[in-house]
Amino acid sequence: MHQTNSKLRFRTKSVLTGWSFVLLAVILIFVFYFYPMLQALILSFQTGTGSNLTFTGFDNYSRLLSDKTFIVSVKNTFIYLLVQVPLMIILALFISVLLNDSKLRFKGFFRTAIFLPCVTSLVAYSVVFKYLFSGNGLVNTMLLKLHLVSAPIEWITDPFWAKITIIIAITWRWTGYNMIFYLSALQNIDHSIYEAARIDGASASRQFFGITVPLLKPIILFTSITSTIGTLQLFDEVMNITKGGPGNATQTISQYIYNLSFKYAADFGYAATVSYSIVIMIALLSFIQFKVAGDKNG
Amino acid sequence: MKKGFALVLICLLLLTACSSNSGSKNSGNTAADTGKTENTAATEPAQAKEITIWAWDPAFNIAALEVAKAEYAKTNPDVKINIVEYAQADIIQKLNTGLNSGTTKGLPNIVLIEDYRSQSFLQSYKDSFYDLSSSIKGTDFADYKSGPTSLDGKQYGIPFDSGVTGLYLRTDYLEQAGYKLADLQDIDWKKYIEIGKAVKDKTGKALITLDPNDLGLIRVMIQSAGEWYLKEDGKTPNIAGNAPLKEAFETYKELTESNVAKVHADWSQFVAALNSGDVASVPTGNWITPSITAEASQSGKWGIAPLPKLTVNKSVHASNLGGSSWYVMNVDGKETAADFMAKTFGSNVEMYQKLLTDIGVIGTFKAAAGGEAYSQANEFFSGQKIVSDFAAWTEQIPSVNYGINTYAIEDILIVEMQNYLNGKDIDSVLSDAQAQAESQIK
Repeated sequence: MHQTNSKLRFRTKSVLTGWSFVLLAVILIFVFYFYPMLQALILSFQTGTGSNLTFTGFDNYSRLLSDKTFIVSVKNTFIYLLVQVPLMIILALFISVLLNDSKLRFKGFFRTAIFLPCVTSLVAYSVVFKYLFSGNGLVNTMLLKLHLVSAPIEWITDPFWAKITIIIAITWRWTGYNMIFYLSALQNIDHSIYEAARIDGASASRQFFGITVPLLKPIILFTSITSTIGTLQLFDEVMNITKGGPGNATQTISQYIYNLSFKYAADFGYAATVSYSIVIMIALLSFIQFKVAGDKNG
Repeated sequence: MKKGFALVLICLLLLTACSSNSGSKNSGNTAADTGKTENTAATEPAQAKEITIWAWDPAFNIAALEVAKAEYAKTNPDVKINIVEYAQADIIQKLNTGLNSGTTKGLPNIVLIEDYRSQSFLQSYKDSFYDLSSSIKGTDFADYKSGPTSLDGKQYGIPFDSGVTGLYLRTDYLEQAGYKLADLQDIDWKKYIEIGKAVKDKTGKALITLDPNDLGLIRVMIQSAGEWYLKEDGKTPNIAGNAPLKEAFETYKELTESNVAKVHADWSQFVAALNSGDVASVPTGNWITPSITAEASQSGKWGIAPLPKLTVNKSVHASNLGGSSWYVMNVDGKETAADFMAKTFGSNVEMYQKLLTDIGVIGTFKAAAGGEAYSQANEFFSGQKIVSDFAAWTEQIPSVNYGINTYAIEDILIVEMQNYLNGKDIDSVLSDAQAQAESQIK
């Protein structure tokens, strides 16, 4: 009896000790993650400017569906998503395979050079891009000098080219980030697999599609989900390069949330509703990606 | 067990220590941000002897505050005034988040707010601003300022810079095209474009530079005709059937289609276009003067003319673009803050002369316009008395109710403007914008 009692006391003690270790983190997560999320959800059922908020039920959610600006923002965001994410993933994969070649010299230099963009400040690089792509910026000057165009391209003030500029900017910044994941995954693939394939007479492209891509599948899934989430939350580049313009040709959902909160008459209730729409979209897309690309136990 | 409990206690203690620490940091951060003040909070316990002011633009607003601070120190040497510079967008964010959180800690005593936005703050956070009706008289200031700075008959703001517009012109380009400054007196926008075409032909220079994301020019045009995006009540969208707005849109399209306009994307490109001599004119607020005169090599090449007018609705040659005013927050130290404002920007005619000569600030305090500095000739503008011109136009600016949705509606209009420029019919452009504004503004 005495024995079991002390055993029990020991168990309780160790459980409590364990909890006390994680308690701080748990409290912080509750205070800084779950509480704000809950508050935002409550806020999304309220309308009014500033602090004059009243509960209006699902008004904000029905407004969402008839809000042209919101719909355009969603459309823009999905254009970035559909064009930029695949482009970046393929590019990152391609570069990482090149850089993984054992015969390549100055590997460290190339890896650093390609990874470097994603340690730069978001705002700083956006501002630099804005100037590079401005009417008389470096890009236009070069294109003109090389006689590739006859008149400067309106990179920032034309609706089509402004989107392209944003896509170029985010591709520049995030390709290196994804490349690092692929590189580390590639180094875990056993060389003997490739050797066996070569002996069997498989071409380089066959090796790439038959060995590299399937073995990198979990990483590709991971990068495409994080990139999807990142793109759905895209804000800094658009805010700093085009401010969402011209018109709202480059406006993203996140920027619309900013505008609703701070540019217009502070409508925090509706802004919270729009934020929740992003949550729902991310959840849905991640679910689909897991279903399509993930393993059964993934 | 005891050990575990002790650990929990320690954790909780740490947490509270963290939170109280961040709280005290918050209240002191404005002083830290200025980098100018040491820890002075404890020196004067009873009456508020320290006030904090937020404003943007070091060359204009901050410089004006420094003058006012020095002026106030003559009679109240024991009041410490902290001037903190933030970008305008940052001030809006900080104010919104601060006021919305329900805590007044970290808010300033006085804040500068753009006139287009002031009503959204006054109406959204009703008891957060201090009623200044007993400190200053709204009627002492330009009439069109009373709309943005007052609410329900109470005066909340101290009207500050006028934002009165004028047409800045490169007289040398005009001469090459066969025009004199006198030819641009009292013209309408059609004539303006006609002159622009001549200038373009003769000099190859653009007439104007436009930002497709900023309809400031449209705002200027419709206010000159006494109209706004909203009706008099400040709530009902006034877009479809708004004759001045329609003419403003048509004028804007004509400007872009007659090949006299250059495009810029942000403020620095805008100023670069003026300073490099790429454009022949700038119809904008008088706050552009310091940016134009910054290019000393162009001295003597600029002049100003009254704003061109629309042909409808008794449009006048005067309008406003982006003026701003001071607001006292309803927090500890409000009496001191109100006193500071009343004794400087609210009454000091002498100080306004200094503001004008030293910084180029044209205020809206009526009594100041009679002062000597207002009639001084400006060498950069070939001896033209530009300030007395601006002061005279200030009196003619039609008063309109900006309401709280200027920028929300403008974002709708920017999109519709693109559609219009791409060939959509003007009436459906305006009625579509009207419908969208009605569904968005509640």
